Formats: sequence, structure tokens, C-alpha cells
Amino acid sequence: MKSSKTKRQSIFSGLREFFFAEEAPYGLALVRMFLPAMALIPMVRRFGRVRELFSTDGAPQQLFEVYGEGNVLPVLPPSFAIALYGIMIFALICGIFGFRTRLAFLIGAPLYIYFNLLDCVSTFTKYSVIASHVLLILAVSESHAVWSVDAILKRWKDGRAASAIPPLVPVWPARLIQILFCFVYFGAAVTKIQTQAFFSGEQLRYWMLSNWNYSNPIGEFMATSTPLLLISGYITVVWEITFPFLAWRPVGRFFALGIGVMFHIMTWISLGLWVFPLVCISCYLAFLMERDIVAIRRFVHRLRLPTSLLGLPRFAMARTIAMRPANVPLSMIWLAMATLVAIGAAEADYRMDLYGTRTEGGALPLKTLDREVALAMIKNPRPLREKDKFFSFDIGSMLMGGQLANRSTEYTYGDSIIAQCNINPPHEDLWVEVAIEDSEERIIDSAGQYVTRDSLWANFKYEAGSRMSPGDYSLVLKSGGKEIARRHFKLTGDPNTLPRPIPMLTN
Amino acid sequence: MRLKRWASVLFVISYLCVLAWGTGAHALKFGLVGNTLSYFVVWDMFCGWNAYDNRTHIIAEDANGTFYEVREPWGAFTPFGNVDRINYDVSNHLVARHINNVISHTSHPDFDRVYIVQEIWPKQFNVPSNLWSYNFSEPMEKVSYFHLRSICAANGNSIETYPDWFNRQTLMTIADNPRLQQAAREATPYYNTYFNPVANNLQNRFQVTSDSNGLNTN
Repeated sequence: MKSSKTKRQSIFSGLREFFFAEEAPYGLALVRMFLPAMALIPMVRRFGRVRELFSTDGAPQQLFEVYGEGNVLPVLPPSFAIALYGIMIFALICGIFGFRTRLAFLIGAPLYIYFNLLDCVSTFTKYSVIASHVLLILAVSESHAVWSVDAILKRWKDGRAASAIPPLVPVWPARLIQILFCFVYFGAAVTKIQTQAFFSGEQLRYWMLSNWNYSNPIGEFMATSTPLLLISGYITVVWEITFPFLAWRPVGRFFALGIGVMFHIMTWISLGLWVFPLVCISCYLAFLMERDIVAIRRFVHRLRLPTSLLGLPRFAMARTIAMRPANVPLSMIWLAMATLVAIGAAEADYRMDLYGTRTEGGALPLKTLDREVALAMIKNPRPLREKDKFFSFDIGSMLMGGQLANRSTEYTYGDSIIAQCNINPPHEDLWVEVAIEDSEERIIDSAGQYVTRDSLWANFKYEAGSRMSPGDYSLVLKSGGKEIARRHFKLTGDPNTLPRPIPMLTN
Repeated sequence: MRLKRWASVLFVISYLCVLAWGTGAHALKFGLVGNTLSYFVVWDMFCGWNAYDNRTHIIAEDANGTFYEVREPWGAFTPFGNVDRINYDVSNHLVARHINNVISHTSHPDFDRVYIVQEIWPKQFNVPSNLWSYNFSEPMEKVSYFHLRSICAANGNSIETYPDWFNRQTLMTIADNPRLQQAAREATPYYNTYFNPVANNLQNRFQVTSDSNGLNTN
């Protein structure tokens, strides 16, 4: 009798397979091409401001200082700072094309981190942190094995036969990028859970109405719709928590990554974030494994798209580099180009003359300020207006998560009328009243409640009873004895249609 | 090859441990204070937004009483959108350096004082005018509140500092309580000179010099 031996896999063999299986690093190569490009967008934008943001002739602000550890990093004179900045940009561009890739990232990544740490006020953000992680992983990876200038030059050197099979490398760098995002999203979910007013929509609302990022007109519209904010908040947190558990499932990863792409596009639309979604979506390419690339290639070939054009830039670069004298190492070429870039950057900074100190009239003058305006700003201890303590006052008939889910101005007998005021923190303990007035401003009902300093909203609920005749009414919000806001509503219908009165009618 | 594999394994384990520490420390809130590198592993991208918007204005005054706007004449850098860089300085570490940088690179008379003023307004007034009437029945009457944050010398060194508007409002909401104010007035301040009995070996001297109850601390 034959018995079949079953092969039991230990947890270590599973981990070994997960981290050290060998594949052609196509996904990693795509991250290598896109992530540095996205990370360079804000850095290139700051090229003309290096003197001001990152040098001794400006006002850098190190992250170490904010954490109470003093100025740990050396701040360089402007010429050296701009030269290094130019080398950083050059190195990351070389990384994109895959020319001396490991050298490029070993130089470019630390410089990227250095300059970001030097300006934590206006340069270093969480997308810089994510980019830093990925750049460091790319520096120790074999992302240049495919789709790079290095791969082309190696293929030409080794001969055509060596290029028949794509090189296979361990997948652990791609896995680390994937796991990084699991931690990023899980940590972000923890932050939201710990933020008191996130699940009632206030935090999203205040963020969407802040003008600290780029323009976000859709976000400003969403900020006034509480149901949208509540639903978005819950979907975000649920997705962030489930991301690590779905990202490697055959079907689940399409869901996790698909929602991720939509989420990041929504942050661009609703919050005005531009670079953050680009950085994150470019890192999603690390989730593409070899079988995905093969499937995409088959699909693209069926559409007969000229994908060979995509390789033209790196082939052109490779041909140019191959023209060098044979005895000149590639690293020397790289370093020579980096030196030229450094000198060019220093010259560009000198010619730009950011501060205008070398103009004909000398240093630029400061603008004078009208004395009355200046004194009004300096000596103006105006107390907060009572109405500025309130964000909004609305009436509706439904609640969602404690917040008003709709707005209504017409009610019939038996309907619930809910008046809600949202209050801006920080505020003191308040006594807030809401009164119902008829069309001739006669008070029909008045109710008040304490709104303690930790409360962000207060609800007043009425049942439209039989003591009010059909007509126009107003709900008037008062605080500190002052009228804050007024909302009009119409009561329609026949009071006789009401069922027998119940004891809880208020009017 | 074997060395390369071991190095890879070590890198993977170390990296995962660092990521796990960051998330765990953030969730349980320990080990993060004063640790700059924790910024690389703590994912607190949504840590709270104020209900009031604020901007920072810097005003210098010369000996003749003329006021100047201390703002970069070469054009302020706007890192994200159209808000000047100085407004992102939430911790107020940059402002002194910023003042010195602008003043030292511009032409002007000597300054006696530099005032740092916060401009505050409620965020509902950031709703664009085309959406305002849809959401609010009242006319849009935005009022800005100005709050003096600090008075500095011309090189940015602080001479007088006041709590920022948000902290001040929070303190006022707590102080707006007559019972609390009364309790605070009735409390007796207690001062003690810090000393370290162990370092100074005072235990034995205590027994020798104290009164019969051993309660004399100085």
C-alpha cells in the first residue's frame, strides 16, 4: 500500500516564501520610476528658495528643535547648501532612470531626508516621511534589475543571450513597502480613533474649511453636509483598519487598493492635498507582482499599444553613456555630472539673487503700515462675539450620529422638528435657548439647556402638536441673552389628523 | 551570498520592529516625548484642526512711531496653496529667526520693537460666498480678532510673550467659573526648595538635627 507523504509547511517556510521568493522586480522598478518623481515635485519647487529655507543665510527650522533636542543637523552656507540640493535632485533623477541606481539613492535619499529635516515648518510632512522610507528601501533593493539604464548597459555588456530571462531577485523590498503602508494606514486609523470629534464630522469639517492646503472647492461644499462627513469618516477608518488584512488576498487586494486610490483622489479633491496622494499611489505599484505585470502586458499587447516608446528615454540615455571612453568607469561619469550640477546650482542661486541685495537700489525696502491699522491690530483686545462661538444653526427632522442629517423648512402635524446648533471650541459652559415664534414674533415656546465646554453641538427636539395653527414660524437661537440666529419654517396640514394627544407634546 | 541573505533578514526584522514600535507607541502613547526620530514611524496625519482660522502678522515700529509690515519684499514663500510660510509655524520656534532674516535682508530705519499679532476668525467665514446663502440665513459679517502674541527686539529675541489666542480662550473658559476662581484664591501656595536627600546623605543628619517628630525639613 502506498502512502503519500504530506509536506507540512512551517511558519518559517511561509515567511521565507513571503519575503524571499524570487521574482522579476517589475513592481519595484515602477516605484523606482514614479516615487522619486513625485517626491521631487515639492523639492524642485523649493529650488529657488534654498537660501531662505535651508542655509545659514535664511531661516531654517529643524525638526529636532521642535522636539526639544536643539539644532542637531549642521546648517550650511548658502553656496554649499544649494550645491548639495542640486546633487540631491540630480541623484533622484538618476534613480528614476536607473543610472547608477544604488549610488544615486545612497546619495539622494540621505540628502532628501537632510533637507526635509532642516525645514519642518514648510517642507517636512508625512508624505516626505513616507518618501524617505521608500527611498531608503530602494537604496538597498535591486530595483535597477529591470527597466533601467543600468539593466540596459549590463545586457549590452553581458551579451544578448544573457537577456533572454528577466533577472530574479528576492521580493523583500517590495514586501517592506507593502507592509509600510499597512502600518501607515493602521496608525492613521488609531489617530482618528483617538481624535474626539472625528466621528461626529467636526474635524473633517474644520479641515475642509481650512485654507492651509491647496484650493478645495468640493471640500468646502462637503463641509456643510454632515451625513457625507460621517459616512466618509467611517468608511475611511474601516478601510484603514482592514487594509493590512486584505492587501494580500487575491480578491481583497483589489478592494483595498481600489478604495485606497479613491481615498487619495478624494483627499486631493476635498482637502486640497496634491503631493500626498501622488506619493501614496506611486507606492501602490509595489503591490504589483510579476504575474500582474505579465497579465497587464498581455492586455496591452492585445490593444496593440506602442509600449516600446516608453523605453526610448532610457535607451537614449544608455546609448549616450555607452559613448564614453571604455576605461572611464560609470561611477566617474556619475560623479562628474553631479559635480557639474552642483556648480550649476550654486551659480543659479547667485544669479537669482533671492533677497535682491545685489539690485541697483540695494536691499529691498519694507512696506510701511498705516498707523491706525497697526494700532488696531496691536491694541485690540476685542472679546469674542457671542454669535462667533456658534458655527451653525439648522433645523431638520432626522439625526445621524447625533448630527442633523437633513434640512427642512416645511413640516406637518406629527413631524419631529429638530433644531441643532454647532458650537466652535474652545467655549465656556453656555446656557443656550431656542424659542418658537410665530409670524408676528410672539413667543409660543421657549426651551433652554446647558451646553458644557466639552460639547460641540446641542439639539432641541419638538413634536409639531395641535396647539400651533398652520402658518409661518421661526426657531430663534439665543445665547447669553442675545439672538444668535433665526430659522424660518412653515407648518402645514390639518391639526385634526393628529392621533389622540400623547402626554409628551410640548405645544 | 549567505552574508547577503543574513543582512537582508536582519534589515527586514529591524525595519518591521521599528514600524511596530512606532504604531504601538502611538496607540499607547509612550516613549514619544522628545524623540525626534519617532516622527518617522508615528502616523498621526490627522491630529486635530481648530474651529478658528489664524494668521500671523509681524509689525515693526521705529523710533519715530512709524509702523512697517515685516513681510518678505522679495515675495513670501507659500509652501502649500497661498498661505505664507510663517503661518505654518504652530510651535512658534521659527518666528524669531524669520523676523531676523527679513529685517537683516531689507532696508529700513532701526526698529525699536517688533510685534507679533495673531489674526483669528471663525472658520464658518471660510465658506465661499456662493455657498454661504445656501447654508446660513444671516449675512456674512466676518470679524477678525487680533491678539498680541509677543513683543520682540529687532533681532527677533522675545521681550514679552503672551499665551496664544487658543490657549488663552481655553484658560478663560475654565476660569469662567466663580466656584473654581474662589477655590483657586483660597489655596495656599506651597514652596519647597528642591534637594536630594540621597545625594547629600541627609538621612543620618535628619535623625540628628530634627525635632522629636522628625518633621523639620529645613
